[in-house]
Amino acid sequence: MLAVDLAGETVRALNGSMVAYEGQMNFKRQGMTGGDGGLMGAVRRRVAGENVTLMEVTGQGTVYLASEATEITLVHLQGDTLLVESSNLLALDGQLRTGVQFSGLRGMSTGQGLATTKVEGHGTVAIVSDGPAIALEVTQGQPLCVDPQAFVASRGQLQQDFVTDANWRTMLGQGSGETFQLRFNGHGLVYIQPAERSGGLAEV
Amino acid sequence: MPGFSAINKKMIQVPVGPGNELYSKRGSMLAYVGQVHFAPTATAGHGMGGAIGRAMAGEHSPMMHVTGQGSAMFGHGGLHIEVIDLQGDTLYVEADRLLVHDAALQTGTMFMGEQGGLSGVIRGQMTGQGLFTTTVTGHGSVAVLSHGGVIELPIQPGRSVFVDPQAYVAHRGQVTNKLKMSAGLRDMIGRGSGEAFQLELSGHGIVYVQASERKI
Repeated sequence: MLAVDLAGETVRALNGSMVAYEGQMNFKRQGMTGGDGGLMGAVRRRVAGENVTLMEVTGQGTVYLASEATEITLVHLQGDTLLVESSNLLALDGQLRTGVQFSGLRGMSTGQGLATTKVEGHGTVAIVSDGPAIALEVTQGQPLCVDPQAFVASRGQLQQDFVTDANWRTMLGQGSGETFQLRFNGHGLVYIQPAERSGGLAEV
Repeated sequence: MPGFSAINKKMIQVPVGPGNELYSKRGSMLAYVGQVHFAPTATAGHGMGGAIGRAMAGEHSPMMHVTGQGSAMFGHGGLHIEVIDLQGDTLYVEADRLLVHDAALQTGTMFMGEQGGLSGVIRGQMTGQGLFTTTVTGHGSVAVLSHGGVIELPIQPGRSVFVDPQAYVAHRGQVTNKLKMSAGLRDMIGRGSGEAFQLELSGHGIVYVQASERKI
């Protein structure tokens, strides 16, 4: 569970994630153009399937947020960029910008659509995960491979590509269940959860 | 009352002996040591009149009477368990969330409509909590189920706490509750923030809130 102290500021949180509050709070769903980039941004999100519904919470007091008993990790951004699956986003500071990043084949394999949500600026992002998330460091020359279904978020200067291990056994339904992996190269952090979400190609 | 000890967040162990009997949710026993007997009970310690009242109120969750000598372990559905100790005060909790309580505690059914008249009735309908809630009074321990663990929020005069009805678990103390509606035009056209209804708890006491919006 996440407690947010507000003194007139605004946070953006997943629709319906408030469980309790003290003080004076206002909840307002973001309009069609919620997020940034105006109408084009909204269209992009809709097309990308990363149409996360957020509400603006404004007021004085403390608001408690939670979603389906999942674990919460706080990520502090200092001008860098966090790429996060839209379904793993719980709340973010009002002054952070959100956008859509296309991720190609990766999206298909995770069952999360072809795109991922990009958060940038200065502030704090709360991400949810099924079980406590861990951060794995990626350094130059040390690529990291993760299960697309366990991938939650990444930050830093990372290139991602897609590794497949499919062979005739997979076709026969005798695969090991680890047919696809995401490989990260560069320098940064990758957050993964100890659970595999369902859906997507990796079900094979 | 000594006894209720947490094995982990989702299991508790309770000693059973003469004068230390329990009522537990039917089917929630996981293991026991010694001679422990589980008898289904329709009345769960509050007499025939109470049983009929409960059945009518829809606050009827089958319980069993645990007697004997030994210790029993309880858990249900992988849900988190919170042990609440009562010293003569009253805990208000949904019947479904009651896992185990000391047999020495009195349970009853309270009509929520009494608190706030018509709005109490609306509250029950809106939150799906029914118009009745279970009260547990006396000296002893109660184990309550929640999805994802609970936090305790203190309620003080002049400092009301607002809770999502689906995340509400239980409360204790001198608390009045009413339904606060902040539904606007946006909710009518399906563009709501998902927070159209809140339970406003005011007075003096504690409210237990779970980290999820799932009912049991």
